[in-house]
Amino acid sequence: MAKEKKVREPVNWKKELRLLPGYLILSLWIIFTAVLLIWILAASFSTSREIFKGDVFKFASGFHWENYVTAWKTQNVSVFLANSLLYASCAVVGILAISSAAAYVLARFTFLGNKVIKSGFIVAMSIPLIMIILPIFNITTRWGMTGSRLLLIVLYICLNVPYTTTFLMNFFRNLSRSYEEAAAIDGCSPIMTFWRIMLPLAQPGLITVGIFNFLSVWNEYFMALIFASSDNMKSVGTGLFSMVNSLKAVGDYGSLFAAVIIVFLPTFLMYVFLSEKIIAGVTGGGVKG
Amino acid sequence: MKRNKKMIIAFITPALVTFLVMFVYPVIRTVIMSFFKVESLTASTSEWQFAGLDNYIGIWKTPIFRTSMINMGVIWLVGGVIVLSVSLLLAVILTSGVRFKSFFRAAIYLPNVISAVALAIMWIQYVFSKKYGMLTSFFRALGLDNLAKISWLDSDMKFWAMLIAFCFGAVGYYMLIFLSGIEQIPQDLFEAATIDGANKMGQFAHITLPLLKGVFKTNLTFWSINTMMFFVWSKMFSPVETEASTISPVVYMYNIVFGTKGVTQRDAGRGAAIGVTMALFVLIIFFIFNRVLKDDDLEY
Repeated sequence: MAKEKKVREPVNWKKELRLLPGYLILSLWIIFTAVLLIWILAASFSTSREIFKGDVFKFASGFHWENYVTAWKTQNVSVFLANSLLYASCAVVGILAISSAAAYVLARFTFLGNKVIKSGFIVAMSIPLIMIILPIFNITTRWGMTGSRLLLIVLYICLNVPYTTTFLMNFFRNLSRSYEEAAAIDGCSPIMTFWRIMLPLAQPGLITVGIFNFLSVWNEYFMALIFASSDNMKSVGTGLFSMVNSLKAVGDYGSLFAAVIIVFLPTFLMYVFLSEKIIAGVTGGGVKG
Repeated sequence: MKRNKKMIIAFITPALVTFLVMFVYPVIRTVIMSFFKVESLTASTSEWQFAGLDNYIGIWKTPIFRTSMINMGVIWLVGGVIVLSVSLLLAVILTSGVRFKSFFRAAIYLPNVISAVALAIMWIQYVFSKKYGMLTSFFRALGLDNLAKISWLDSDMKFWAMLIAFCFGAVGYYMLIFLSGIEQIPQDLFEAATIDGANKMGQFAHITLPLLKGVFKTNLTFWSINTMMFFVWSKMFSPVETEASTISPVVYMYNIVFGTKGVTQRDAGRGAAIGVTMALFVLIIFFIFNRVLKDDDLEY
């Protein structure tokens, strides 16, 4: 046994050595990211003067929690977070409701227009937002719909239906048909079969694509800028943008970095726990339609 | 069968309505609008005046629009080469059998889940800062005073600073797509090649790269769409007034349609023409690469 171990170890080390350049590149990348984040975190507890002297890691005057209080209360980060939470969660519910139904019938039934709709959704995924934003602004303004949170949520839903439907279609296609056949024999109606059997089976796919949509709506910038311009409707992206400009004007850099950390934390924590699901959302949908 | 029919209609209609309202109608209207003189975006169609190709000629005659197109072209080409090669390199490293693969993968993708605004602030206020920035202190610690003296956010370096920051955030996404492409290549192909005496570089050049054609096409399409929509980073690097060094076509379009500091004239017709031009560029790029990188319809 001991002899065998001795033989194994050098081989292993040789392999690791061969991979050394790879490890080096990966580590440099990670170290850079880590330094970036840790410095921002340290700066968020420092005063502007300490930041400018480059002494953020000494905490000479203690931890300045008041930076967070300033960012949270005076600069309205709490409002932006609440808005983003509202937009993202409502949009995800709407997207999943519309897309799961459409994806199911598109994957399971042949009917007139099935193929056209499928390819339409794939084309829609590659239409730049600037091609569609002008008419949407025109209609919504003339119908007096702008200035409401509901409009932005509806737009987010419409925008993400093609991607989500395509993703879920691939998912439903891989489920066995025998479930539906068994249900039909037992006298279950198609709609009940979908609701009671197929939707629960598709749960992993729904969760993955739901989280992915949640993040993209949470971080969305362009539409939020155009359709949620008033201060109490801003989401994290547009809110942080205007906040940073006003904090820079006052010279309160500690609070500026605190605001960045507050905006960064929710998605970061989500990512720490759900990274596998989120990554599956990138590679799972549409890439090979 | 009749019950099925009702169900199909009930299930597909909501998705179809969102598709028609959000994509089909706006695309058609944008194309039509680009041939008309439309000042205010909220004007009704009765106020539109037919202008032929005037909007298209007009934007190309505007120097700042041409600047924005050049900026975008450089971002697309230089940024594309950097992002796609770095992400391919990282994907190859991750599939070469390194430990902690899922940790590395997750960490490299991380910038994509953070708000782009927050990420841009980290770069502008820390990495590129002249007084206390990461690059300045790093080069100073190494004694490279010439490099430490570079002021990254001055107008001649600003564009490149923006491009570096943007690429850093983008790499993770394209890496994931390359990664899933490489993982779909059957392992026995590499084993067979090893038995036949091909080294790692040879395997990469003759197996991995040719089989990644389709994935390359996907990545190129996404990259093109992404650069056409280049907006947040441009805004972040010149937050108060739009500067020529960082302007992108979408920023220019936003300015002439919705107005900004110093721009009083509105021209929604030209805005539509910019949108159509961008979409055409995506289409052309897509067709060229579809031709060049013909899919061989491989079945493993």
